[in-house]
Amino acid sequence: MEEPNVTASAIIGFAKKLEEDSLKFYKELAEKYTQGKETFLSFAKESEKNKLLVIRTYQETITDALEACFIKGLNLNDYLTEIKLKESMSYTDALRMAIELEEKASKFYLDAAELSESLLATIPTAFRKVAKRRENRKLKLKSLLESLM
Amino acid sequence: MVLLEEPIKEVLVIKNYIGGEWVESEGELRNVINPATCKVIAKVPISTKEELDAAVEAAKEAFPEWRRTPPLARARCLFRLKELLEEHFEELSRIQTMEHGKTIDESRGETRRGIENVEVATGIPSLMMGYNLEDIAVGIDEYVIRQPLGVFGIIGPFNFPFMVPLWFAPYAVATGNCIIIKPSSEDPISQFKLAQLVEEAGFPPGVWNVVNGDRIVVSAMLDHPDIVGICFVGSTPVAKNVIYKRCGETGKRVIAQAGAKNFILVMPDADLERTIASCMTSFYGNTGQRCLSGANLVVVGEGLSEHEYSAFYDKVVNAFVEAASRIRVGYGLDTTVQMGPLRDKSKKERVVKFIEKGVEEGAKLRLDGRNVKLVGDWPHDCFLNPTVFEDVTPDMTIGREEIFGPVASIMRVRNLNEAIDMIHSNPYGNAASIFTSSGKWARKFQYEVQCGNIGINIGIVAPMAFFPFSGMKDSFFGVLHGQGREAIRFFTESKVVIQRWF
Repeated sequence: MEEPNVTASAIIGFAKKLEEDSLKFYKELAEKYTQGKETFLSFAKESEKNKLLVIRTYQETITDALEACFIKGLNLNDYLTEIKLKESMSYTDALRMAIELEEKASKFYLDAAELSESLLATIPTAFRKVAKRRENRKLKLKSLLESLM
Repeated sequence: MVLLEEPIKEVLVIKNYIGGEWVESEGELRNVINPATCKVIAKVPISTKEELDAAVEAAKEAFPEWRRTPPLARARCLFRLKELLEEHFEELSRIQTMEHGKTIDESRGETRRGIENVEVATGIPSLMMGYNLEDIAVGIDEYVIRQPLGVFGIIGPFNFPFMVPLWFAPYAVATGNCIIIKPSSEDPISQFKLAQLVEEAGFPPGVWNVVNGDRIVVSAMLDHPDIVGICFVGSTPVAKNVIYKRCGETGKRVIAQAGAKNFILVMPDADLERTIASCMTSFYGNTGQRCLSGANLVVVGEGLSEHEYSAFYDKVVNAFVEAASRIRVGYGLDTTVQMGPLRDKSKKERVVKFIEKGVEEGAKLRLDGRNVKLVGDWPHDCFLNPTVFEDVTPDMTIGREEIFGPVASIMRVRNLNEAIDMIHSNPYGNAASIFTSSGKWARKFQYEVQCGNIGINIGIVAPMAFFPFSGMKDSFFGVLHGQGREAIRFFTESKVVIQRWF
């Protein structure tokens, strides 16, 4: 299958939405499941910081000399995941949903970093930083899940 | 398709900014068209000579007090402007896309480069320092002091409506001069918006003026005895035969940056994947409408046998054509789009004529951008898709002349010496790049090639704001360049003081 081309602005737009959706998701989790409230609220707060970091890095790095329009091989649809909480969803299932979100998000940031390495100067460094944060979240969520088993 | 919101909702009527006032021009109003949608987004006045004269008067009047304003206070105006530019970063970028057609990534890149020039100019208390030496003879000291000169004119091009005036303006005002900017009448909205922010930043009236128009304003600038220098970016015929010539006759300082025909060399040891990715931006970024665009891709067979060279050439050409064919063309506010339209219909027609000429002169058309395929339903008036020719020779029109559009000409050359000779046979000398893993070849290229901006594994050799934007031969007329320390020298006179006390 042909590898898609993607632009920096599309990637940044995707990252922005991902963090906004994550923020909303974790706020909802915090409201619905008091067991993990503090953790979820800290994730929500971190998503706001992630968004700022990515946008700021992009806006401060982008110049007319960068190959920002021609990033090859990243299909943004591969990183979409369902994060809508259902009314009757158990805490365990909600945690599983959150873990899937973090796995996809972490993979998105790592792939975006790798594919834009030679094209976008310092932006991949920011992506890797956020990927690491997302990876840490996944570990924390897994430990919450294991504690229920 | 993710279409960003347009910041211009209704037709703007552009005014001149003279002496701190927004002044309606008496000249005719012309439409400013969004080249992607073909809708009128603004009306720009074609100002009169008298209006330019009024701006010069305002600038002259402001100059004595502004030059006496401490450099630190002048820098603070620039710091405030920088903050405002950051606040309006997205709006300014989207305006560029609407008035010029470039993609949103390209517009944001342009905004950033413009802001960087403001940032560099805020260092004026250090940058403007002179130097001194005690005891050049017993009891006698000598100094060099840098002083501003007065009123400068800045004539902007259509291809970078926001950034290019900022190669000059921040340095001019930071050093204590006053300026008059004439934006391109094709896309004047960025400078209109910038002047609003300048006003908000608190620059005194008359320091920063904007007079819209066409050649009447340019001629009036060139002839005006109270304008001490001109900064111009545009075509070579105008730079050489009008701007440079007239400035010489009237004794004005001049920076005249002009056209280009940039060669990109691909050596057999180049990292092909990265080279091709870089070339896409170089050849098709800004729809080929920039003086740093790649124009001729030269596949060099240094050290290869005939058979190996043939295979290498085919590999490069096929990879280039394949990548170019997948470029998504459309309205630049769609974040998935990689190339926007030409600035207007006549520019598209001009590029089409070059394509026809290429076919007529025997070049092999591998990808025909006249077959317009767009992302989204937009009028085709100003759009072309990427075009690739191969088997182009340097004597062909498309291999020799500046096309200023999304057309790549691929050439064959057996060795590096031949490739360098080919670059030198072209009258332009703006930029040239080599893609290689060999330090030896890279150094030879950097050392020998007579171009102002040299790229080693870089497709767009755009100097950062603290380096000069260079250029040689028919690509530049003048001595000092825009940006950085050279701009500081351009906008100041070096006064020598020798001092002895009895």
